[in-house]
Amino acid sequence: MRLFTSTHTFDYSWEEVSTNNWRKYCPWNDKASHVLAVDTLSRSFDPATHLLRTERLITCRQAAPSWLKPFLAGREESLVYEVSYVDPVAKRVTMCSQNLTMSEFLTCAEKVVYTPATGDGGGAGRTRFEQEARITALCGGWAKVRQKIEEFSVERFGQNAARGREGFERVLAMSRQVFREQREREAAGAGA
Amino acid sequence: MSASLAPECNDVKERYDTCFLKWYSEKYLRGSATTDECEPLFKQYKTCLSKALKERGIDQMLEEARADNKENDAEYLRPSGR
Repeated sequence: MRLFTSTHTFDYSWEEVSTNNWRKYCPWNDKASHVLAVDTLSRSFDPATHLLRTERLITCRQAAPSWLKPFLAGREESLVYEVSYVDPVAKRVTMCSQNLTMSEFLTCAEKVVYTPATGDGGGAGRTRFEQEARITALCGGWAKVRQKIEEFSVERFGQNAARGREGFERVLAMSRQVFREQREREAAGAGA
Repeated sequence: MSASLAPECNDVKERYDTCFLKWYSEKYLRGSATTDECEPLFKQYKTCLSKALKERGIDQMLEEARADNKENDAEYLRPSGR
C-alpha cells in the first residue's frame, strides 16, 4: 500500500468552496476534460442533525497505461464512486471515494476534507483542503509488479491532484466573478 | 454543470442540479432548510438514471462499493466535534 497526502489553502470562504465543490467539473474547469459525467445517485438531508449525505458516480475517460489495457476488457470508461458528508454547523465537508473499475488490479481510496482555515494560514475567507489516498495494487504474489504499479499510480495520482486543484481554483474564480457581475446588474437595475 | 453518463437524462439532471445548488447555497448553508425542496426533481432524475445504470451493469458494482463504504457512513453520519 502507498499513501499519498497533500494539503492546500484556498483563498475563498468555506461556503464558497463547499458550494462550488458541487460543480467542480463544470465547463469552467479547463483541467477536467477527462471527466465525462458526474451523476448524483442519492442525496439525504437530515433536518435533525443538518447533515447532508450525497452519493455520486463520476465517469472518466479511461486513463490506464497501455500495458494494462488488454486486461480491461475493452471498457472505455473508468468509474469512481464518491460519498460525501456535509456538516454545515461544524463547517466540514468530507468526501470519500473509491474506484469501481479496475478494482481487481488496484484500489484507490481517497479522502478529502474541507474546513475553514485556522491558525497561521487562517483568517476570514480561507479554506483548508486535506487529501489522502491509499493506493493498493493486487496482483497475486508478484511483489515487484505490485510495487511498480503502486509507484506508477501514486506518481500519476499526484500529477492529477495538482491539476485538480488548478481546475478548481478556476471554478472558484469564475464563480466569484459571475456572482459579482450579477450583483452589479441588480444594483444598476435598482438604481435605474 | 456536468453531463450525465446517460445523455437521455441530461435535461432532468440539469433541472435538478440547478435546483439543488440554489437550495444548498441559499437555504442549507444558512441553516434555514427544513426539507430537501428538490426531492421531487431528484426522483424524476433518479428514475431515468437507474434504468441506465441497470442496462450497463453498473448497479451491481455500486452495491459492492456501498458495502465497502459502511465504515465511512458510521463515522461521518454522526455529528462530531460539536
